[in-house]
Amino acid sequence: MTYKIVVCVKQVPDTQDIKWTESNTIQREGLESIINPYDFAAIQLAKNIKFLNTDSEIHVVSMGPLQACEALKDAVAYGCDYAYLLSDKKFSCSDTLATAYTLSEFIKNIIPDYSIVICGQQAVDGDTAQTPSSLAEKLNISQLTDIKALKALDDNCSSWIKETTKTYEEIKVSGRCLIATNIKDVELKSDINGYIKAQNCKINILKASDINTDETRIGLKGSPTFVKKAFAPDLTRETITMNDMTTAEISKFIEDKISKCRSQYEE
Amino acid sequence: MKNKILVYVEIFNNEIEDVVKEIISKVKDSFSDIEISGACIISDEINDSIKNELCELGLDNIYFLKNEKFIDFDVVNYANALKSIIDNYVPNILLIGATDYGRELAPRLASKLNIGLTADCTDVSVDENNTFLATRPTYGGKMMAVIASKSSPAFATIRPGAFKLNDYTKNTTKFIDLSQESLCFDTNIEFINKEFKYIKEDLSACEIIFSGGVGLKTKENFDKLKELAQKFDVKIAASRAAVELGWADQSLQVGQTGQSVKPKLYVAFGISGAMQHLVGITNSDKVIAVNTDENAPIMSFADFAIKADAIQLITDWLNN
Repeated sequence: MTYKIVVCVKQVPDTQDIKWTESNTIQREGLESIINPYDFAAIQLAKNIKFLNTDSEIHVVSMGPLQACEALKDAVAYGCDYAYLLSDKKFSCSDTLATAYTLSEFIKNIIPDYSIVICGQQAVDGDTAQTPSSLAEKLNISQLTDIKALKALDDNCSSWIKETTKTYEEIKVSGRCLIATNIKDVELKSDINGYIKAQNCKINILKASDINTDETRIGLKGSPTFVKKAFAPDLTRETITMNDMTTAEISKFIEDKISKCRSQYEE
Repeated sequence: MKNKILVYVEIFNNEIEDVVKEIISKVKDSFSDIEISGACIISDEINDSIKNELCELGLDNIYFLKNEKFIDFDVVNYANALKSIIDNYVPNILLIGATDYGRELAPRLASKLNIGLTADCTDVSVDENNTFLATRPTYGGKMMAVIASKSSPAFATIRPGAFKLNDYTKNTTKFIDLSQESLCFDTNIEFINKEFKYIKEDLSACEIIFSGGVGLKTKENFDKLKELAQKFDVKIAASRAAVELGWADQSLQVGQTGQSVKPKLYVAFGISGAMQHLVGITNSDKVIAVNTDENAPIMSFADFAIKADAIQLITDWLNN
């Protein structure tokens, strides 16, 4: 049976110039978008599976405005086989809960016989790392997060290496699960076949009605959280600038500060 | 209305995570008229030493669930367990430390309860209408977002190191055993092996930090800074860029994607001060920056901005 891998990718704005809408969400239209760096690793893990089990298909999905087709074509060039874009005004302003719900309905309706779902653990724009776990719950499958590598794959089982800030773990899973990887900045390369495939591929564009979503659970309506206020952090201090000091003077200055700290501590 | 707050008491490797204490400190300090309870998931009997520690937390109640299957962190079982505590206690605010496991557990639980969740918060408060507000850095720390939720309970994960520990009044803690109500399944996951990392560099509680960035130019120079830090018996840390270059282990990374620190003295050597770094050191008492570039962001952020070559300084300092 063909091993069907679903890879979820997000386009993130490739700009320092963040604009906010009136409803305090991010203005995405008109921004250059790139594939979220963590999602490159997700694509790479999918390719690793396909390398071990050649009877695999990689289905890549994203949610966003039509311009995201470009990012999906890149994903195809890097080795994904089928690409889907969930694009509907009704999806806009989704928080992580609504996003996870929407992705889960896509998977259940369009690729119901999937074998595994792979996601980048977080996106560099929000850094929340919430969507993968939330999606696994909506699909009612197990999840493995902080995944660094695929260790082994046979028939129905896969073994994975997990690395958190405090542990190294090896975990084996039989049957379906969701994998979230915390590797960032994998470099993916495309060959000429990939480029040709990307040029000729058709991105399947799906609307809310195509994946049977409940309208109260998508987009702004389906998002319990909302940004009440956004502001640039004010981190400034009253700075004393010190120029033209010799290294001996500087080291003395810092040593004095250290001693002062320590004497406070002892009091 | 009295706020009923539930805090997940994460026990990792037989120790209560520091972030649990930080959350309790913050809540007791900033919220009035509250009842605060803990949710504890354990695989074995609560022994006296853990029980003492749990009492020390100063919570009103501790709801606990015991099952030998909880020895492995299977997030499916943990989320089910927490849900059963929530169904019992019915809090209106739910807080979980944003540790590795906490960040995995919280969104699964939020999805199960179909409620909103705000990740990795650095501040929490309630407004005049008693609406819970959670503040978090976003876009790599360039923006702070204040997030509210239409669903209940309000739910946030809290960044370790974001809140200072305060002395707070202790009260008598009632222990409530809900073990019977917890359903634990054999899932399709098998935990083959787990190793704890030896370098558990917890920078969040240390007093003095020397931190190095790409301005040090080479790993050799970073190692010199490390030597200097050892000489003065202070902790060494690194910027994200330095970690990405392989000069230091990721466990030493300070900033939004690394650790938040709050030392008495933070000395930055050759760190330009990307916003995500500054967010992570903003609770430091005093910051000294040494940088050749007077226009580097850290030079207008620090208490003392010293325009100098950090490499030269470190080299001369070691030779003295």
